[in-house]
Amino acid sequence: MSSGPTLRIDLDSGVPAYRQIVDGLRILLVSGKLAPGSELPSVRRIAVDLGVHFNTVAEAYRTLAEEGWLELRHGRGATVVERDAPAANAEKVTEFRRRLRALVAEMQSQGASAAKLSVELRNAAIELDL
Amino acid sequence: MKLEILFTALPLALVAIIFQFLPLLTRRGIFFSATVDPEFPQSADGRRLLRSYRLQAALWTLIAIALGLVLAPQHPEYAALAPALLLVMGISVSYWLKFREVHERYGEHRPEIRRAELSPRTSGEAFSAWLWLPPFLALAAIGVYLQAHWNLLPERFPVHWGVDGQPNRWASRTWSGVYGPLLIGAGLNLFMLGVAWLVTRQSRKTAMQRIMVRLSELLLYPMTFASAAAAVLPLVSFPIWLIPVVMTVSIAAVIYWAYRQISVPTVDDATPEPQSDSYWKAGMFYYNPNDPAIFVSKRVGIGYTMNFANKISWVVLVGILLMALLPVLLIRK
Repeated sequence: MSSGPTLRIDLDSGVPAYRQIVDGLRILLVSGKLAPGSELPSVRRIAVDLGVHFNTVAEAYRTLAEEGWLELRHGRGATVVERDAPAANAEKVTEFRRRLRALVAEMQSQGASAAKLSVELRNAAIELDL
Repeated sequence: MKLEILFTALPLALVAIIFQFLPLLTRRGIFFSATVDPEFPQSADGRRLLRSYRLQAALWTLIAIALGLVLAPQHPEYAALAPALLLVMGISVSYWLKFREVHERYGEHRPEIRRAELSPRTSGEAFSAWLWLPPFLALAAIGVYLQAHWNLLPERFPVHWGVDGQPNRWASRTWSGVYGPLLIGAGLNLFMLGVAWLVTRQSRKTAMQRIMVRLSELLLYPMTFASAAAAVLPLVSFPIWLIPVVMTVSIAAVIYWAYRQISVPTVDDATPEPQSDSYWKAGMFYYNPNDPAIFVSKRVGIGYTMNFANKISWVVLVGILLMALLPVLLIRK
């Protein structure tokens, strides 16, 4: 097994593979596990490893490049670049709140307490905060 | 007539023995190419299915041998191929039916968890020069030895023997006659390493990839032994049967090692293969249009099969077949 960062997706989860790739890579980028200057494998390599279409991976790379995380290199892969974090605007915060409420409701319906969820949220924020 | 029976029945019997054990040459949790509970093959139902398949395989073998014996006197040109085809097709149908039964009645769903390593230099299992280089050096050393003893070589010497042990093809003391076996050996070695390299570039990083790289490196040794022995035979006297015996024993040992590696319970893959049985048509052919991989670990047996939904797979398949047939075509010319 490799000791380097690994991208993991679950094709049974119902979440599209493209979304899972973007989310998975973003977590690694935000947490610093993929630091500026790191080179990512080519679209082809990732697509073969994950068993998904090239376009799915290429689209995920493009999304992260548009967010300023990656610099794409034609036919090779991508490089993680230094990124100035933009100020979170009101629209983004509202969207976050909506998604968070949905997640909290889902977990509470499965028996998770408010206190437990608060701890989880706090831990996640600390873990990903650079 | 006795020789005809032997030549007809023996290869078919050998193939049949392999088919008898085929369902067991697999990873834990796979049975007749279907995903099952790892303990299922040892259960009463698992044993019943295996017995039933083996009985059917044995029947197909007897039918194929009978066909071979009927064809041998009148149509010897078909006596080898037709029974072999019948045997493979018959047993394949039996295998397919067992795959369907196991999948539908006892199959399990495994989560489709996929992983990708994000380190850019992890494209495949590395080859070890310590393993693959010595066979080439040995062939080169024998070439030097033959050059140094050129004058001791006979003008004409045997290079091929029949099953009765008698030589049936000869070569003369020329550059191609003397060094031919060494060059063919080096070519075959390169071909095998080339195929293994291609597979590592186009497949996922699994336990099978590691095993296949080592397997291809280790198999260079018996192949090199055969080429080297054939090359030095004009100078060094030894029983000719030694070559097939050493090759058979060493190849069997290497394959047994590979089987032990693949069947260990803890075997883990850095980037796992897709899990669903639905990708395996008839339990034998991998067909997944969403998967860009060309080579996929076999579910049964050791090595790789192709993703038949990928057009490039067909191109590669034809290319490999042409390369494999090239020496035969050249020799015939």
